Amino acid sequence: MKQHPLCTDCETGADVMNMPVPANLKQEWAVLETRRNFLGRTGKVLGWAALSSLMGDRGLNHYAHAVDSPSTSRIATPEELKLPHFAPKAKRAIYLFMSGGPPQIDMLDFKPNLAALYSQDLPESIRGGQRLTGMTSAQAHFPIAPSHWSFKPYGQTGMHVSDLLPNTAQIVDELTIIKSTNTDAINHEPAIMLMNTGNMNAGKPCLGSWLSYGLGSMNDNLPTFIVLQTKLNTKENNQPVSSRLWSSGFLSSEYAGVGLRSGGDPVLYLSNPDGVDREVRRKMLDAVEELNRQTLAELGDPETNARIAQYEMAYRMQASVPELVDLSKEPQSTWDLYGEEAKQPGTFAYNCLLARRMAERGVRFTQIYKRGWDVHGDVTGILPILCRETDRGCYALVTDLKRRGLLDDTVVVWGGEFGRTVYSQGGLSKENYGRDHHPRCFTTWMAGGGTRAGIVYGETDDFSYNVVKDPVPVRDFNATILHCLGIDHNRLTYKFQGLDQKLTGTTPASVVQGLLA
Amino acid sequence: MTVAKNAARSSRPSHLKLRLAKLATPVSLATFIFCPLLLLLPVLFRLNGKPHANWQQFLGRFHPLVVHLPIGFLVLLPLLEIVGRKRPALREAAGFVLLLAFVSCLGAVTLGYLLAYGSGDQGATVVRHMWGGITLTIGVLFCLLTRPSWFATEVSRVYPVMLAIVLLLLAWTAHQGGSLTHGSSYLTEYLPASLQRFTMMGRTKADDGSFYARHINPIFDANCVGCHGESKVQGGLRLDSFSSLMKGGKDGRVITAGRPGDSILLQRITLPTDDKHFMPAEGHPPLHAEEIRWIGTWIEQGASPTMTSLQGISFAEALKDPPIAPVGDYSSLIVEIHQMQNGQGAKLLPVSSKPSDGLVLHTVDVASSFGDAQLAQFQKFAPYIVEVELGRTSVTDASFDTLSTFTNLRAIHLEGTAITGAKTSRLTILPHLVYINLSGTKMTKEAAADLASMKNLRHVYLFNTPAQPAPAAAPSGVAQNSAAGAKL
Repeated sequence: MKQHPLCTDCETGADVMNMPVPANLKQEWAVLETRRNFLGRTGKVLGWAALSSLMGDRGLNHYAHAVDSPSTSRIATPEELKLPHFAPKAKRAIYLFMSGGPPQIDMLDFKPNLAALYSQDLPESIRGGQRLTGMTSAQAHFPIAPSHWSFKPYGQTGMHVSDLLPNTAQIVDELTIIKSTNTDAINHEPAIMLMNTGNMNAGKPCLGSWLSYGLGSMNDNLPTFIVLQTKLNTKENNQPVSSRLWSSGFLSSEYAGVGLRSGGDPVLYLSNPDGVDREVRRKMLDAVEELNRQTLAELGDPETNARIAQYEMAYRMQASVPELVDLSKEPQSTWDLYGEEAKQPGTFAYNCLLARRMAERGVRFTQIYKRGWDVHGDVTGILPILCRETDRGCYALVTDLKRRGLLDDTVVVWGGEFGRTVYSQGGLSKENYGRDHHPRCFTTWMAGGGTRAGIVYGETDDFSYNVVKDPVPVRDFNATILHCLGIDHNRLTYKFQGLDQKLTGTTPASVVQGLLA
Repeated sequence: MTVAKNAARSSRPSHLKLRLAKLATPVSLATFIFCPLLLLLPVLFRLNGKPHANWQQFLGRFHPLVVHLPIGFLVLLPLLEIVGRKRPALREAAGFVLLLAFVSCLGAVTLGYLLAYGSGDQGATVVRHMWGGITLTIGVLFCLLTRPSWFATEVSRVYPVMLAIVLLLLAWTAHQGGSLTHGSSYLTEYLPASLQRFTMMGRTKADDGSFYARHINPIFDANCVGCHGESKVQGGLRLDSFSSLMKGGKDGRVITAGRPGDSILLQRITLPTDDKHFMPAEGHPPLHAEEIRWIGTWIEQGASPTMTSLQGISFAEALKDPPIAPVGDYSSLIVEIHQMQNGQGAKLLPVSSKPSDGLVLHTVDVASSFGDAQLAQFQKFAPYIVEVELGRTSVTDASFDTLSTFTNLRAIHLEGTAITGAKTSRLTILPHLVYINLSGTKMTKEAAADLASMKNLRHVYLFNTPAQPAPAAAPSGVAQNSAAGAKL
């Protein structure tokens, strides 16, 4: 930056002492300068000291790095990171996140023996002194609540699926059903953070951010990682989800998930206001970029780079997003498959259809959130609504990807943050019951992208309470997803706070070979 | 000393007499007693397939470490002898190295024998490796005895010949040892396919179409015969043929026909992976759940060597894509690849960090302007491109002329293009093609029929084309609960 001749910053500015000015003025200036200089410098030194202690290693490293070459202070690209580590089966992933904890016993984990145990107390040996949530720990009895719905075998695998999921039942031969997923957290926020970021505390990058950091973009005109939220149904118990779940944590915010809104404009303020055409917008962005580059050169904060990249992405999205959400060219076969509901923005079926369109357009990771699965009470009233909302979409997405040849290189993941208890929360009647949070086992499924189709992995005991065979902890679950995308979870790391941070955390994790084809 | 005096006194001693006299030293005598002992070792302590004391195994496991010492010394020896012609000091040293080689040979043989005896190893390769080691040690001993006369006169040829034999024997024995550690196919596994024909001759197993030959035996071949096969027979068990499988091991039969629960083999492969008795042992990857299910069902339904199919098992899911064939190294073209990307916008991205996995052509950013001419520009990189993503680009049937020159192609994406399939036959020369996506094109039935001749092409997608096999079953509002399902 060019300095003003009268700039008082003696480090970079011109020196007044060398200027052709009268000597007495110089004298006066020198007195002033000394004081200004002293105060200015003292302030700066204190400021820098405070800043460096606040930011730890990181700030100084980046600063030093940026000073060397401000234009190259970007974080390494996948090519520099040497990724993928091996030839991947899947190029992209779609994660259907059932926030709240779907009750596995009523959906996919068939327990025929429970009917005979209706209303009996859950044996203490099964619970094994487990510390329960505050919602049921005061209960005097833990009456067993068998599923209200009956199960039937489907497909070549003969997998039992509840009557609540008649459409998912049609694709069991495509699915890798994991009955033994288990987590360490019993409440929503830590459990959902653990599932998404591998750590119960906020501040770590989520799966999608790791993928976009590690693998980079396949389509320069769309974000690498997109989050879709499903419209709320007010009858359901909607636990909040927040942008912490798709945050990039300590990675550059370029890698954070981009949320598309469930109603109205998918991205707010994306379209140009009246009177501003694309050319004017371009000029404005160019000017903003120049200013940002000056800031970058001055301060060397890599987040400035992220900001520049995001402005550019937004500009390109002005053209790509309208095309993405324009469903007018979808053939009738699409609506036959997804149902008429898929025409309404914000429904789960609509989001599934968008996910397929994003897969076609090279979006690396799409995560669809469906809230409301927190069925503490009124299971028979709420669960059918939830299943009706999601069942057709899941079936349609997997079927559609398969018939379009996309399932070979797309891994689809379905799951929540934990399961639900076999015992009833609150009163149990023949007509209704509730279920509390249950971390020790829950059912998830994967499809495509190199997973082993048509198998059931892991087993739970007769009460769907403990895993008895082939447990899949969250870290192994995530390691397996990364494996499908050609990533060795131990080698995708980022040094932060003195630790080579990774998605699967510090407890040793392993890829679950049994889930892979 | 007396020998030297004798030699000095007689003016023309016969060579034979001299040699005999030299062999009569105490050292030589001791060694000649030692040789038969070494040869008798396998008779005194027979390798009977039973494990013995733990301390033997503990020491024995240092064999793979120690064994490299004599190898190093022996390989060094001819070098010293040859270079020693110019630099005599090295030749002097050769004698010392030879002595070291002998001592380390003895050490390695002892430890090796402890390993085999202690852990109860058996098998043709073990025996070959053992005899190789013993003979080699004796050979080195003879070298040691014959070297002094060669060193003094350079007339005798016994030592150089002996040394040459020892080196050949060394190579052979080391190869046997390597086969034991890494498996006999380790060296040839990645041999270029054209050469592999020669090494694989006479090794193909008889495929009589039975379930055992097609599905059970290959599981054992891939996972078990490294330790339970011809070359190594841990626990006295061999799994490389039906008769040996049914014979069992030192603990008796491992398969009880009709009773999977009583079959030790099934028990051992289904234990928790951290169990001491879990198989495959020593950290080898566990069997797939599917494979375990096949073995279990096969035992349950009689463990027959001839039965061709089993109830409840279908094989559609067993079809696997052929392994990825490595392409050449494109690192020298990296600069051009980047230039191409900057100029055209279409990207060539590596499949993985391993260059031999090849490149993928991505066109999604420039789909509307990418046509046949642009594709042709990538011909330069043809042998390295394993996948082309041409979905929704403006390529036409003419692109098949270009694509047919991409000899390593595994996957072609053409969804939503104007392809009619008129030139489909051009693609049939692509040997590695496993995937082609023609969804939403004008692909005709006749053209699709041309693809049928390609035996590796497993994934063909014709959704929404005139060639689509059957109309998609449209589910009603809520799908029927029929087990048949909506197969598309």
